[in-house]
Amino acid sequence: MVKTAVSIIISLAFIVGVCAYELYFVNTSFAEFRKILCSLYEKAENSVATHEDGIAAQRYWQEKKSGLHVWLPHTAIDSVDFQLSEALGYLYEGRYTDALPKIEVLIDMSENIPNAFKLLPENIF
Amino acid sequence: MALIFIRTCIIFITLLIIMRLMGKRQIGEMQPYELVITLIIADLACIPMSDTSIPLAYGIVAIISIYFLHQVVCLIDLGIPKAKAIVSGSPSIVLNKNGIDDKELKKNNLDISDLVESLRSAGYFSLDAVDYALYESNGSFSALPKPEYEEEQTSLPVILIKDGKFDENNLQLTKRNKEYFLRVLRENHCENPKKLLVLTVDGNGKIYFQERGKKFCVVRMNWEKKLW
Repeated sequence: MVKTAVSIIISLAFIVGVCAYELYFVNTSFAEFRKILCSLYEKAENSVATHEDGIAAQRYWQEKKSGLHVWLPHTAIDSVDFQLSEALGYLYEGRYTDALPKIEVLIDMSENIPNAFKLLPENIF
Repeated sequence: MALIFIRTCIIFITLLIIMRLMGKRQIGEMQPYELVITLIIADLACIPMSDTSIPLAYGIVAIISIYFLHQVVCLIDLGIPKAKAIVSGSPSIVLNKNGIDDKELKKNNLDISDLVESLRSAGYFSLDAVDYALYESNGSFSALPKPEYEEEQTSLPVILIKDGKFDENNLQLTKRNKEYFLRVLRENHCENPKKLLVLTVDGNGKIYFQERGKKFCVVRMNWEKKLW
């Protein structure tokens, strides 16, 4: 009985710990990424964004990506990779009107992906 | 991961309720919650293992959640007897000294033929060979035989009437018609054969019958020869 109670406490502590770390890591990673993307969007809107600005966003994403692979479905990471590469290509060519929708999609994704982890009925069911 | 934990709990509880509602027919040698764990743990391990787009952590957390739920159910089983009856169920006495308990059978989604089959698997071929028969909470079958039951088992009994309806194939085996058996029933104070729960007959002419809600009755007919 004592052993069972101890194993319940340990397993519950593990689950709660993992859940808390996951929420913290995913939320902070995407909050920072969103800030970088918003600043990139503003610059692209004013036609002053450079390819290096895009590279800075990509560098941040690459840093966080390996950690996020543990928590996110890999298809979601692939989608961000795809949109970011396209946005970077347009910035390199100076095609700001084409880059803006791509950055907007990335901003939306950086909001929606962490939202999918919230304890809401629509996520549970 | 919190979502996975909650979703695992919901699926576990849903499956457990369904298993309990399905009755003992669906369970075999396992407690209902053990069967639920067996059903879901294989998929929990396999899907993240084979689908590389799903992080392995999803499978690991789900499996640990199952372990957590298993331990909670074990603790309930050990500590709270009333809760144990709800989670794991309790034994059902389906046959007692008065005969078959139809209500207990129905509660477990079983019928007379299931009971007869279980009795045969346990080595008892006649309904009057045992004093008590019960399905344990894990679905296994136990019976307490009558002291002299082996002497009784000289011919295989067949079900002739089940829920008031004749089995035509078995009737042919007896080489007698319906009227013969209806007359035997009338002579033994059973006026309405439609109220019969079961009537079995063996090759020696031993008839076992039970009306719904009444005690069983055994009649030995003097047949000239053993039919099977």
